[in-house]
Amino acid sequence: MVPDWVWAALAIAVVSVALALFVTDSPERPGDALVYDVSEYEAVDAEDIRYRETLRVALELENPAALAVDNNGHILIAGEGALLVLDEAGGELARREIEGRPYCAAVAPDGVIYLGMRDHVAACSPEGDVLAAWDMLNERAWLTSIVADENHVFVADSGNARVYVYDHSGTRHTVIGERDPEQGLHGFVVPSHYFEVALDTTGALWATNPGKLGLEKYREDGALLGAWHQPGFDIDKFPGCCNPVHIAFKSDGALVAAEKGINRVKVFAADRSFEGVVAAPELLNAGWKTADFPDDMTPVRDIAVDGNDRVLVLHGPLRSLLIFEHINK
Amino acid sequence: MSEKKNTGRRAFMRAAAAAALGGGVWLAATPSSGAWVWQIDPRKCTQCGQCATHCVLNPSAVKCVHATRICGYCDLCSGYLQPNAPALDTGAENELCPTAAIKRSFVEDPYFAYSIDETLCVGCGKCVKGCAQFGNGSLYLQIKRDLCVNCNECSIARDCPSHAIERIPLSRAYILKYDDDSKGTE
Ligand code: SF4
Ligand code: SF4
Ligand code: SF4
Repeated sequence: MVPDWVWAALAIAVVSVALALFVTDSPERPGDALVYDVSEYEAVDAEDIRYRETLRVALELENPAALAVDNNGHILIAGEGALLVLDEAGGELARREIEGRPYCAAVAPDGVIYLGMRDHVAACSPEGDVLAAWDMLNERAWLTSIVADENHVFVADSGNARVYVYDHSGTRHTVIGERDPEQGLHGFVVPSHYFEVALDTTGALWATNPGKLGLEKYREDGALLGAWHQPGFDIDKFPGCCNPVHIAFKSDGALVAAEKGINRVKVFAADRSFEGVVAAPELLNAGWKTADFPDDMTPVRDIAVDGNDRVLVLHGPLRSLLIFEHINK
Repeated sequence: MSEKKNTGRRAFMRAAAAAALGGGVWLAATPSSGAWVWQIDPRKCTQCGQCATHCVLNPSAVKCVHATRICGYCDLCSGYLQPNAPALDTGAENELCPTAAIKRSFVEDPYFAYSIDETLCVGCGKCVKGCAQFGNGSLYLQIKRDLCVNCNECSIARDCPSHAIERIPLSRAYILKYDDDSKGTE
């Protein structure tokens, strides 16, 4: 006769073995050779972070997509059906209903607001009333960036991979980026809808060449003055494809650049040496899931620099404006 | 006469029941009968790598597919090249694909076309992730119907962390990569 405790011990042993087998029965994991991993490039040294977020403004706006700062320090943000004007502290000063969805915005020195709709530019009064809708471009057009000085409005069209130079009345004078293989000019290489223009502090026009991973400097008649292409995954380079996705300049000529793939905003000094990081991937990727925004290739929809050299970042998934200031060490 | 008729009806009913039962058992026993097929929803797939390791077939029935319409034809294709590749060329040390299944051909400066050699692809999704993270997302993974043996329970689907695999009627077309070229939408 086998004593009960033996049966009990046997039962416990069987259950334990079954449990152990169940817990340790994990399926084969893919080895390193099968996994795409860029985490080593996403890591940012704490020492390289030279800015800190000092303000975050939640926006009551559908699809915020365009950001600009006017001469009074007011912040303009355009999105689906509306244009917001905020003060420096993010307080709402005005809200104007607009038709459609702008993809980019600029304010000229005279206060006129230019909105880049998908296939045309809308000129608006400083109060946001539409003054004129300029001629429609072709069906491929997709206006992704716009900037204005005293005489010109420069518009980047990712669909046609061209930059247009208009005067303030909407007359087009120059098209930049025509291909001329015989001269070795392959124009702008624009694989996706990330294509930017910006004016530096000397008033010179810069356009990104996303397929070349860098920037090019142009005269308003379309002459190429210089190029700065930085392909690579190191922190002082632009990785992957279509980077940088947004650019802006600080008053000292430093370049602020936002990237996709490795979601990051960083600064290069006027001599284009790497200066530091404004917003690391850790900060920009927090609080939202890529799976919920499958159409966003980057959370950063636009960037700008204000009169106090603060870096403004328009975060799409968080529907927020993030403001960063330099850490004076 | 009526008894004969009744016997005949009973026999018919029995035969019909047996046929129905037999058919049901046969259907249950042969899930590859073809009414439904397993498919990956490319929008949900997060390229975890398990499609290469979890399929009952070796190599996997999952293959990389290229939606050329949304490809940028980049010379620095992030689906083709290793991150930080020393050079943007076909050198083995620069290639991302562990089985050299992606073929690159020159179109015109600076554009290249890419295609997948399905016989070499193991469905790891490494190129898909590179393309999605830095490029236009034109590469994606799909279960190929001509290869898949249509297991009753797809062993990849069982462990897919993104619940990206579903069963769809055979009559439905392949789930293709969507063609959304927006700059960003909510
Ligand atoms: S298991 Fe799921 S998430 Fe992973 S690669 Fe396959 S479909 Fe994509
Ligand atoms: S990287 Fe993986 S999924 Fe892509 S082609 Fe090569 S084997 Fe196929
Ligand atoms: S159903 Fe079977 S053969 Fe088909 S993909 Fe899944 S595990 Fe592989």
